[in-house]
Amino acid sequence: MMVKKSNVPDGPMLPGLSLDQIVTVLAEKFTVVRDASDQWGLTLVAPAEKLRDIMRFLRDEPTLQFAMLLDVVGVDYLAYPGHRGERYAVLYPMKSLTFRHRVTIKVTVDEDACVVPSIHELFRSADWAERETWDQYGIIFAGHPNLKRLLNHHEFVGHPLRKDYPCQKRQKLSINDQMLDQLEARLRARGYTILDHGESHAGTPITDASSVPSLGTVKAGDKL
Amino acid sequence: MKVISPTGERVDLMTINVGPSHPATHGTLRIFAALDGETIAACATEIGYLHRGFEKMVEQGTYSQVLPYTDRLNYCSAMMNNIGFCKAVEKMFAITVPERCVTIRIILSELSRIIDHMVCVCTNLVDLGALTNFWYFFNVREQVYVIWEKLCGARLTNTVTRIGGMYRDVYPGFVDDVRGVLLKIETAVGEVRGLIEHNKIFIDRTKDVCVVSASDAISWGWTGPCLRASGVDRDLRKDEPYYGYETYNFDTVIGTSGDTFDRIMVRIYEMIESVSIVRQGLDRLKPGPINSPDARVSLPSRERVYHDMEALINSFKLVYEGVRPAPGTCYDATEAANGELGYLIVSDGGTNPYRVKVRPPCFTQFAAYGDMLTGAMLADVAASLGSINIIAGELDR
Repeated sequence: MMVKKSNVPDGPMLPGLSLDQIVTVLAEKFTVVRDASDQWGLTLVAPAEKLRDIMRFLRDEPTLQFAMLLDVVGVDYLAYPGHRGERYAVLYPMKSLTFRHRVTIKVTVDEDACVVPSIHELFRSADWAERETWDQYGIIFAGHPNLKRLLNHHEFVGHPLRKDYPCQKRQKLSINDQMLDQLEARLRARGYTILDHGESHAGTPITDASSVPSLGTVKAGDKL
Repeated sequence: MKVISPTGERVDLMTINVGPSHPATHGTLRIFAALDGETIAACATEIGYLHRGFEKMVEQGTYSQVLPYTDRLNYCSAMMNNIGFCKAVEKMFAITVPERCVTIRIILSELSRIIDHMVCVCTNLVDLGALTNFWYFFNVREQVYVIWEKLCGARLTNTVTRIGGMYRDVYPGFVDDVRGVLLKIETAVGEVRGLIEHNKIFIDRTKDVCVVSASDAISWGWTGPCLRASGVDRDLRKDEPYYGYETYNFDTVIGTSGDTFDRIMVRIYEMIESVSIVRQGLDRLKPGPINSPDARVSLPSRERVYHDMEALINSFKLVYEGVRPAPGTCYDATEAANGELGYLIVSDGGTNPYRVKVRPPCFTQFAAYGDMLTGAMLADVAASLGSINIIAGELDR
């Protein structure tokens, strides 16, 4: 039998620390502040420059063991009533697979620089999640090896989930992303040396954007 | 593409696109692979073909208007998305829904889990050329859809829950219908299991194919059946029980090797566990209210609206404005068919959600797919994609 059934093969999930205890453990090492806006769980506001250290600590500290980064969530507070402080925030909901506790780390992001450190080396789930947040909010994840758009088309202009991006705005998008750069980067990472890019195969989409007539500039409100 | 391989040989790699419109890409996905013979030397994956701006759209309407959009996330088990969203909003209101509503939600969740697993397993088997299983499972799935149709009038996208309760109570005869379909589900699962579990072709195509270790699965953020197939016994229904799942008697199913075979078999066995949960739920189904009496979320009864000014105002405000959760940020998750379905809601105290972020379980699974395929054969693309159950609706949002 390939699959085993069991009630508790690894032992039940341990109760873990209370929310206050998690704050205490973290506050000994880092300057974190409990976010009062999360009255249902635990959200801690952390300084961006210490983000990598905090995330590594959360993952590796034996009493915490937040092994899983669930998501990377951008928020734009531009239209939030009474909001003071930085325009953007990035939230990192995490959970432990050993203890029954969760935490969300929140980093505020300055509108001008719009940059936070990437944590893709600590959690592989951050790779695509950070790309999505870049795509939707234009927040740069410094150190990310492949910070390209994920959900929107590569010709898309702007970041649609920003509160000042008009909901009805339409853009004309035409040419597929060839993705040869991503493929070659992955080949190089595996130890291949690329000698030539090869002829385009029937299966590859239009290869060269310059061979396609320009579409002109599309303005908001244009009927497409 | 001419390259020098890591071993120093000059090889000519062929680049090939699988998808975006390929029969084996369940939805619209693109896999761009460099082939060395039949082996995938490296591949890059692309999503977004079904991106429709879910998160932008939900900011434009009220909380109740989000519900029909959630149907379109994982459309193979639409009800579980409704339930997950309602549960998150109810958490913000600190509302406990009535016991009958909880039991109905569990029954609907587990039936949805079964039909979701059915689609996942049998379409995966079709990709392997095993068409018979498709008919066995889709016949029964159709009968579940008949129940959905009787329940709420819709088959695929049901919008069956409401914040604080249900759209309506179950119809007379629901319990008998479900009991009848459970027997058929058991038969179908037994038939498909019999056809594949010791089938040499199936084992050769799936065993030790695209193995994901437990530590990789955790780092990739995998949840649900795919994580359990890698040998990590984590299930929100057991670990952080909600809706009284801890009082139900069922086992979690875990795999041992994290290969395609385990990912399929975990789902097969989970269906049997879900059948047992549905039976226990049906036994517990007692008459009672299905909507929370909380005036902040539930419409007052018609009799009261016609005779009581306060109830009329209440009804008017709820219909024309909608519910208003307290300002703040809330994350809540349920164990959906594919894994942890999370909703992170930012409320500004108004009637429209300020920000809703869905954490779709198959997003983290597909993020790992490019790495899973590296070193595998081209034929494994079709064999393994089904096993991570990619639903483009929730992947691309």
